[in-house]
Amino acid sequence: MHTLKGTRFAIFIGLLPALIIYLGVAILPIGLSVYYSFSRWDGITDMTFTGLHNYQQILKDHIFWLSVKNNVIIMLTGLVGQIPLGLLLALLLNRKMKGVNFFRTVGFLPVVISSVMVSIIWGMVYNTEYGMLNGFLGLIGLDSWKHNWLGTPGLSMFALGAAYIWQNCGLYMVIFLAALQNIPAEVNEAAELDGATGLRRVMRITIPMLKTTLMVAVVYSISNSFRVFDLIQIMTGGGPAHASEVMTIYMYNNAFVNMRFGYGSAAAVLILIFSLIVVGIVNWIGRDKKD
Amino acid sequence: MKVKPSYQISSKLKKTFLAGSLSVIALSLAACGSSGNSGSDGNAGSDKPSTVTLTMMHPWTSPNVDNEVYKARIAEFEKEHPEIVIKQDAVPSGDYKTKLKTLAAGNNLADIDVLWPGADLQPLVAGNLLMPIDSEMDNWKSLLPEDALAGFNEGGKQYAIPTKQTFVDIVYYNKEMFAKVGYNSFPDTLDGFYDVVKKLKAAGITPISLGNKEKWPLESSYMSAIGDRFTGDDFLQNVLDGKAKFTDPDYIKALDVIDQLTNLKAFNTDANNMDSVQAQDYFIQGKAAMHISSSTVDGRVRITNPDGDKFGIALFPSVPGGKGDPKKSAGVVQYGIGIKSGLSDEKQKAAMEFMKFFVNEDLYKELISKGIVVPAKVDIPSDASPYLKEMMELTSHGTAPVFDSIIPTQVNDVFENGIQAITVGGETPEQVAKETQEAVDNMK
Repeated sequence: MHTLKGTRFAIFIGLLPALIIYLGVAILPIGLSVYYSFSRWDGITDMTFTGLHNYQQILKDHIFWLSVKNNVIIMLTGLVGQIPLGLLLALLLNRKMKGVNFFRTVGFLPVVISSVMVSIIWGMVYNTEYGMLNGFLGLIGLDSWKHNWLGTPGLSMFALGAAYIWQNCGLYMVIFLAALQNIPAEVNEAAELDGATGLRRVMRITIPMLKTTLMVAVVYSISNSFRVFDLIQIMTGGGPAHASEVMTIYMYNNAFVNMRFGYGSAAAVLILIFSLIVVGIVNWIGRDKKD
Repeated sequence: MKVKPSYQISSKLKKTFLAGSLSVIALSLAACGSSGNSGSDGNAGSDKPSTVTLTMMHPWTSPNVDNEVYKARIAEFEKEHPEIVIKQDAVPSGDYKTKLKTLAAGNNLADIDVLWPGADLQPLVAGNLLMPIDSEMDNWKSLLPEDALAGFNEGGKQYAIPTKQTFVDIVYYNKEMFAKVGYNSFPDTLDGFYDVVKKLKAAGITPISLGNKEKWPLESSYMSAIGDRFTGDDFLQNVLDGKAKFTDPDYIKALDVIDQLTNLKAFNTDANNMDSVQAQDYFIQGKAAMHISSSTVDGRVRITNPDGDKFGIALFPSVPGGKGDPKKSAGVVQYGIGIKSGLSDEKQKAAMEFMKFFVNEDLYKELISKGIVVPAKVDIPSDASPYLKEMMELTSHGTAPVFDSIIPTQVNDVFENGIQAITVGGETPEQVAKETQEAVDNMK
């Protein structure tokens, strides 16, 4: 007992510096944002407290709801694009074949490249004049399919979604690959003896065994989608006319461009609340099914 | 028996950990403390002849002719004053204002900053972040006319000295393309302007290259001029004073010009995801017949361009029933050099020394010789570029206000997005006028 008690205290003391740093860089700023969100503040002159005024304004702002909608689009492209594609790539690459390492590297490459580079590359792909996509469409005779991908309000979100999938599916591929390699060979052998091969084996054996990993990937993908910023900021800046604005860009524009730090903080708090709600729902659904 | 020694060890551990973690905390606190005021204390107690280090933030990163002049002058100053070190923080101009505001919010401005006048300067002054330089104004009084200094004067105090004059609404046009559709000079009426656009379009030429991804070109370069033509140059100030509204019919007519140009497909198709520099390139490469931008661009378009002769300059034409003078160009003084408030005496003296050296007659002369318009009363050297003379002649008939130098940022933001919405067919001029006016009303 004594031993345990003493060690516990030592562990606590040992963790203290890290804890203080963590509180300082992660928890304290969240607290400060909540505090600022109740004020009208340009960052320079004195703050005035306005209570819930900022929240009332934001919830009435149709541009904010547009940005929420765009976040939902990004979230869905993540869920229906990144995870299935990542899983498919992982299943394809989880076997002995020639050049498998090469393909794994290629699949993972977009994750390693900085998103500034990714944005610039995709900006070039979508360029109306010299872009690869329009060039390709022209080459195969589909001139009528050529579009101003990033500059047309109805298209820009989907063009960005495609880039977002490309950027991140490699990450899920690696996560799933690691999980696949942890499935004991006996399980697969037993399945094969029972006549479960191909797609059937994947659906009945592999995917159920990956369930925990899938849940982690889903939660990760959702929380990632609420943080998306740089990709969109660089490719479209949220434009044209707010068409591709997401909540983080809404927050950034208000806080740092328009110097409404109180308002921007309120937007940041709403992002936090929204992502907690969605992640909470997913966790709840996941837990329910396990029992 | 076994319990006790291990307990003792852990108690010893405890002390070590405690001491260790306390010292970590102390160190990190000390580090925070010193970084907070390292700016002000210099190097007290050292025997060496002390050097003063000043930080300076500026937006001179792109290879413009004037940027080279500014950077060369900083280097020259450092050569002449080995005791003063200028630590530069060069921020790309598109991000400069955002960084400046963010640093201002953290009370973390550089010692010397490049500033914009009017609406951009006001919050910095309101927060007491800048040092008034009235006591030193004798250095510049005879050199700069009052109206050049006015934008950096708040509440009767001077906060910065401008280094250049920018006209934001210069229409550059490709003479060869114009001749091709039967125009040997730039039209001086709005109908003529629309006519050129239609003819260029019919001839398969993109009429106007626009790079509005950053959203300011349509607002600053287009609407400053077009708005002025319709409403006259008191309008923006009147809106702020509550004596006029963006929803006034005159202003809606001005916004309607953007709608008309959109309907005529006057702009390149990717106008909203091309940036301003790409749009310049597009124009210089002969892919479009017109480009509307600032006088600074003339350096690239004509002065340093071997094919510069191809291009002419003009102002936005007169409009039917317009209250503004069609000879006026929307202009603003730019790149004010200012000093942060609350510096130590030693640093203040060094910063003043720098300012006196940096912004003087020589700077203005060097800029002129590179074809840049300056706000100072300096004789134009006889060898000045004929392009510069043409620009100065074009812009010498009075100055109209620049939209974003009068209208506060948060209203400007609504306006910029609104005009962008017009160009993609998302909103009508009436809607944009209404939203912008609402943003003005919400400020109070």
